[in-house]
Amino acid sequence: MLRCGFGLLMYGFGSKKALLEDFASTALTEYSVVVINGYLQSINIKQVVITLAEVLWNQCKSKRKTPSGNLPRAQQPFNSRSMDDLFAFLDGSELKENDYFVCVVIHNIDGPGLRDSETQQHLGRIAFCSHIRMIASIDHVNAPLLWDKKMVHTQFNWHWYHVPTFAPYKVEGMFFPLILAHGSSAQTAKTAAIVLQSLTPNAQSVFKILAEYQLSHPDEEGMPIDTLYATSRERFLVSSQVTLNSHLTEFKDHELVKTRRHSDGQDCFYIPLASEALEKLLSEINQ
Amino acid sequence: MMAPSAAAADSSPPSSSETTENHLQPFFVLHEASSRKPERTSTGTVKTRKKIDFSPSKLKNVEKPDVEIAKEGGDEGYGNLRMDAFEVVWSKIESTIKDVLRDINANVFNEIHQWVRDSFSTIRSFGMLTFREATQAFPIVTDASSKQLFTGLVLTKNMEFVDDLLTFEELGRHLKSQGCHVANLSSLDFMAKSGIGGCLRSLLRQFLVAPLDAADISILASWYREQGNYNNPVVVIVDDIERCCGSVLSDFILMFSEWVLKIPVILIMGVTTTLDAPRNILLSNVLQCLCPCMFTLGTPSERMDAIIEAVLVRQCSGFSISHKVAVFMRNYFVRQDGTITSFIRALKIACSQHFSMEPLSIILKGFFLEEDRQGLQDGLLLQAMFKHAFDLPSYGRNKMGEENVESFAHCLSELKRSQTRWRTVVLCLYEAGKGHRIQLLDLLCEALNPALYSSRTSGTCTKVDKGHGVSPSNNFPVQQHPIMRKGRLICQAVQKVRDLPIAQLYKLLKRWEELTVDINEIHAKLKELLYVIKLENGRSSRQDMADSSKRPVSRSQLNIEKESRAVNEKAASLIECMVRDHMQPVECSPLHEIVCFKNVETLQLALIGDPRRRIQIDLLESYKILRCSCCSRSGHSLLPSLHDTSILYNLAQEHGDHINLHDWYQSFKSKVCSSRSKGKHKSKQSPLPKKRKDMNEPDKPCEASIQARFCKAVTELQITGLIRMPTKRRPDFVQRVAFGL
Repeated sequence: MLRCGFGLLMYGFGSKKALLEDFASTALTEYSVVVINGYLQSINIKQVVITLAEVLWNQCKSKRKTPSGNLPRAQQPFNSRSMDDLFAFLDGSELKENDYFVCVVIHNIDGPGLRDSETQQHLGRIAFCSHIRMIASIDHVNAPLLWDKKMVHTQFNWHWYHVPTFAPYKVEGMFFPLILAHGSSAQTAKTAAIVLQSLTPNAQSVFKILAEYQLSHPDEEGMPIDTLYATSRERFLVSSQVTLNSHLTEFKDHELVKTRRHSDGQDCFYIPLASEALEKLLSEINQ
Repeated sequence: MMAPSAAAADSSPPSSSETTENHLQPFFVLHEASSRKPERTSTGTVKTRKKIDFSPSKLKNVEKPDVEIAKEGGDEGYGNLRMDAFEVVWSKIESTIKDVLRDINANVFNEIHQWVRDSFSTIRSFGMLTFREATQAFPIVTDASSKQLFTGLVLTKNMEFVDDLLTFEELGRHLKSQGCHVANLSSLDFMAKSGIGGCLRSLLRQFLVAPLDAADISILASWYREQGNYNNPVVVIVDDIERCCGSVLSDFILMFSEWVLKIPVILIMGVTTTLDAPRNILLSNVLQCLCPCMFTLGTPSERMDAIIEAVLVRQCSGFSISHKVAVFMRNYFVRQDGTITSFIRALKIACSQHFSMEPLSIILKGFFLEEDRQGLQDGLLLQAMFKHAFDLPSYGRNKMGEENVESFAHCLSELKRSQTRWRTVVLCLYEAGKGHRIQLLDLLCEALNPALYSSRTSGTCTKVDKGHGVSPSNNFPVQQHPIMRKGRLICQAVQKVRDLPIAQLYKLLKRWEELTVDINEIHAKLKELLYVIKLENGRSSRQDMADSSKRPVSRSQLNIEKESRAVNEKAASLIECMVRDHMQPVECSPLHEIVCFKNVETLQLALIGDPRRRIQIDLLESYKILRCSCCSRSGHSLLPSLHDTSILYNLAQEHGDHINLHDWYQSFKSKVCSSRSKGKHKSKQSPLPKKRKDMNEPDKPCEASIQARFCKAVTELQITGLIRMPTKRRPDFVQRVAFGL
């Protein structure tokens, strides 16, 4: 099927990583194989294309018996060429024989690193090149939504294979947060700092008051709203209760601040961070 | 989270032993090509050198097959042969399709070219530039009329722009061959992100060839001036304006309208919807710059008919498809995808599968393509092939008697003959139905149906009485043949023949005469019929002249009408005869397996992956796929030995669109632990934590390991996209995404 010009697309439940790599290293020994791990978070597609071009170039050089003259010299090294040039090279305008091709194995072509439409467009163009054959796997049920008809029919030209392996997604699942280890603890000082930097200086100062209070009274349940208002007013940060409330709502929305009922019945505010993290945060926003 | 070290990854391929590292690299080179050259081409030529003639007269030569068969006939060589055959057959089909499409568009292309030339001379008539003007690096504008940009709007009449990509490519090629400078731009060049620079760069790339970094239109202008390009127009083809970013396209047009005296650009834009499209996406001041002209391409159904006629009905490659496959492909085209591209793709998949599954398919290559030689290569695998051929069900069914080379060859030529006749009749029917909304694709499906044919032949069909009555609909033996039943297309086509006015009937019969030139008996009958019509025509025209002077309506006129009806009737009965006697679907012939692809299931699987449904079925009915001993017996009840994710997904079915994590976990835990107490179950394929647990079997799996398995299963569900992680608002609930199969 690969020789016929189709791309192979494996789907079905279970990790297909081992399957594809076995296939590539047993059946495709005549051709160079480049593997892309689509399950990773970020993949530089241009680097991939450059590598493909280099591999193809090497392949041609090694197979050609008379290396001199026939092959046009590459004018520039591949990594300084533009994407279009690279595609043109892979599409074989410079090489006459059709017998050379590089196989691209893509694990999780629907993975997080490849999911955006621009990358998919590039992948489509890669697959369309005459010296490239593509073998890919998908895991997501809605993966085909990534492609429009042009890509499916003319570029990827998929030949579907249903291969449920039921093998565990060991590597693929590595980058997903575990469900029981919950996300709230992931709310670190870092994200809080990012949120705070986007707020007004006055709001930042209000937050600082709250943080300093929490640090100096580690045993208390939080800062009562009256105290917070009084302090903020003294420092000319807020002019009225309404302004303060608007700041607080902002904080709450970003989960910088939470409320709880004080033992004497009054609402009080606290920051859901450990004191070390809070200190770090304070030093960060003070810079 | 990993650090994306792309720079490190690309240069040096890591050694294969460091597999764990490979897992974490965005990409790596698994291996370079081995130095061994692919052997395919060499073996192919060696084997094809030996050709053995299969025409019955020379078959004596091959009575004793070569001794080498056993030695050489490995699977490998065999596969290569088939691969070769596939390439030959498919390239034939592909080139036929291309020719057909080109022919369909030829008229429009010529029209467009003429218009391009006219527009170019109009632009030239605005006056030549002085040398000084021409070398300035800015545009010159004389008056408003010279700012007009000639624009051809090509209406594709087809929402599916995929089918037109090729058309626009061909158009570009056509204009190039006529001396124009052509650049093809796609909607990708008009993205908001890259802006006007993107399309300029792409233009420069296509015109100047040498890559340039700067995107400046004055470069284009100087290129046009210098290269002796001065006598030819510059044509820019944009294949689908509806998908372009409107503002970028507007900028593009405005810019070129200012430069039009220096660079005589003529735009050609594809429009898939209506003529309003440019108005919708372009601003009014931009629209004023355009001087539009309309062209219309053929409709998709016209193209489809032409392709089918050329590839599947006319003699093309010999490859054919069975009734079921045809119906499947029609439904896929009509209901699911609707693009001709996808239809062709389906055909290609069918073809490649045919060659990979049917050992005898190699015969197709020599047998049908090179008519004059009828050479069948390969003396080597002859015997194995014969054996296979005589094992084919269609051969056994038809009880062809002795199994030897001669009968085999006889069968093949018989198959070919019946195919030719079938083609002819289908084409005749198609001719009759043309202009009456009878689509060839539907007709093909019906003509291929073996059920209709076999009931036709076994049924008590009497020969149609030739001179039968004038009112055909009631006393015609329609009911006797299922294929002639009302509503069927073939029947409709025949009815059309009956209703045709005499002049058109004459034309139709003439067409038939051309088509049936190979089949003597029909050809003779047609000649006869044509002769009758001619006679009658002559008589009626004579009478017409005579009558016209006397009375407006005469008895003789009625007579003529009656007689012409009789001719119609004769023609209709002739085509019915043809359908009955000569239109034998390919599946009814012995040895049809060689040329006919029948396996609709594999085609469907390869063509339409349905991950959404499939993956859910995998999970819900995993025991069907894993075929373990424990679960298949139990039917629907969930056993703890099931795959964890499968258990979890089955449990999820009981929930609504939000699943409470705690409940889910508890029911998972109870499922997993349930049979521990019963203490009997085999460990089957299961993730690692379970194995560990099996070792200390007596007590229940510890809480931690269950939690770990739960987490893993949830993550796997998340990878497949069947659930969504909890949101901040409802941290204890996961969301189900897919419902129903």
